[in-house]
Amino acid sequence: MKQLEATPERVANVLRGGRPVVPRRKVKWRTGLTPYSFILPIVVFTLLLLVYPVFYSLALSFRDATVDTFVSGDMPFIGAGNYQQTLSSNTFWQALVNTVIFTFSSILFQFTIGFLLALFFQNRFPLKNVLIALLLIPWIAPVLTAANTFKGLFNEVGPVNQIAHWFGIPPVPWLALPGYALVATIVANIWIGFPFNFILLYSGICGIPPEIYEAARIDGATYWRRVGHITLPMLKPVTVAVLMLGTIYTVKVFDLVWIMTGGGPANSSHLLSTYAYQVGFSILNFGQAAAIATVIVVLILSLNLFQFLLQRK
Amino acid sequence: MRSPAFRSPWWYTGFGIVITLILLLPLYWVLMGSFMTQRELFSPHFSLWPREFVFQNWANALSRLWPHFTTSAIVSICTSAATLLITAPAAYALVWLKVRGRGALFSFMLTSQMLPAIVFVIPLFVVFSRIDLVNTLPGLILGDMTFTIPFALVMLGAYLREFPYQLVEAAQVDGAGQWRAFFSIVLPVTKTGMITVAIFSFLMPWGDLIFALSLITEAGLQPLTLELYKAMGVYGIDWSFLLPGSLLTALPAGLFVVLASRFIVAGFTRGALH
Repeated sequence: MKQLEATPERVANVLRGGRPVVPRRKVKWRTGLTPYSFILPIVVFTLLLLVYPVFYSLALSFRDATVDTFVSGDMPFIGAGNYQQTLSSNTFWQALVNTVIFTFSSILFQFTIGFLLALFFQNRFPLKNVLIALLLIPWIAPVLTAANTFKGLFNEVGPVNQIAHWFGIPPVPWLALPGYALVATIVANIWIGFPFNFILLYSGICGIPPEIYEAARIDGATYWRRVGHITLPMLKPVTVAVLMLGTIYTVKVFDLVWIMTGGGPANSSHLLSTYAYQVGFSILNFGQAAAIATVIVVLILSLNLFQFLLQRK
Repeated sequence: MRSPAFRSPWWYTGFGIVITLILLLPLYWVLMGSFMTQRELFSPHFSLWPREFVFQNWANALSRLWPHFTTSAIVSICTSAATLLITAPAAYALVWLKVRGRGALFSFMLTSQMLPAIVFVIPLFVVFSRIDLVNTLPGLILGDMTFTIPFALVMLGAYLREFPYQLVEAAQVDGAGQWRAFFSIVLPVTKTGMITVAIFSFLMPWGDLIFALSLITEAGLQPLTLELYKAMGVYGIDWSFLLPGSLLTALPAGLFVVLASRFIVAGFTRGALH
């Protein structure tokens, strides 16, 4: 499968900012107005449904948009009120800390599992592609399926506790205890995300020329030395991309936590996304929800900027 | 690479199967649990096999979910079709034709792909309730398109970069216009990419919860995910419905993994890396 290869050039191009590589030939009929008819629909869509909402949300974050003002429609301007309210809320800080813990531990385990799997699947053996396809299921299936599965597994009388019982460990009401609930959602998220790490690292590993390994083997390098001195360094660009994308996807998580815990118990397992949703759609304070959304946007953009600066070095 | 003579490839297959089984154990539990009574499912003893297969669970789930299945199918098919219709010509023009603002549009799409849905859900709910798009399927489809469109454009852009543009030049010599060349050459040649994007743009709205949860309250318009979400009501969770229901929701994804794993694997790597 040619399209699977993440060649160093391709990956390097992506990491430079992912702009398309367009030949710089100037051909007359590529210019003119016709090309614009190709992009007109997407420009209209982008302006109306992506750009406008983001700015509308920003404007909303400076207004008093609660259930009363929403119905009457005036939504008065209140300056930074929503932001003050957000920053002085304990739940917000808890959600921020949770988001960091959730993201960091998810990525750590997803990446490790994905990398070990990729190393193993580097070998050629029968039925390999079938197993790879099966391993993708947790990622391809709707998040709702995984969320309900793990809600069941971590049930007070569910399999996790049933198995713990064999070892004499008393049952823990995972989803009903602060702290434990977050751990349960992290475990579920690791399960959802490992295939993504695996398949990208695997395609990266497939792009490493076998001759290099052959040469190292002839020189007498052991297996783990080859991993450490060939695989890891050659995979660096892919690794950076995987970690970056993984972070972004993890910060975006909503459904999983919303279904498994709803942010509870006692708001202890909120992520920023579920907290914003709760403020917006349960408490019906759209202004403050928009303020939290703005904070999320700023965080993600600074994460991007950070990565950009890191790569320019 | 590391295949000492004493290890046959089948040794690897065996080990691979074991790993895969362990990692997919949660799904095994759901599958077996979906045939158990709730009493057996959460009995003090862990059971790997139902004492008696309760097919009624599946029959009940199927009949309760059927109308929502249809809704989800309509929403996902429309989202996927509209996404492809909008992004395919755009991705081609952005990569191969001279249009101003190309870089800006691509960067904006990359950025909006990174933003959580909540950023769009709140303003869209407020705006949609003003123009009566809340509680309508077109409203939900538009909402879902806010995440399929950036994804599809970025992914198709990656595919089309490897499109041999000489083909279009040749057609041009024969007198074909840009649109004609697009339909008769670009689309057929990049079929794999188009199918992959279509599959993903179908699966993403199929699994969506946040837009459905915010934009749809009317019972007759609720997609699958919403009906399942509601199964976790105030009176506790009806597991004998939730487990088969969750598996039914995963059915299209499972089918695609079996039938089109080639496309999915390709899409995975491409969409994500570029």
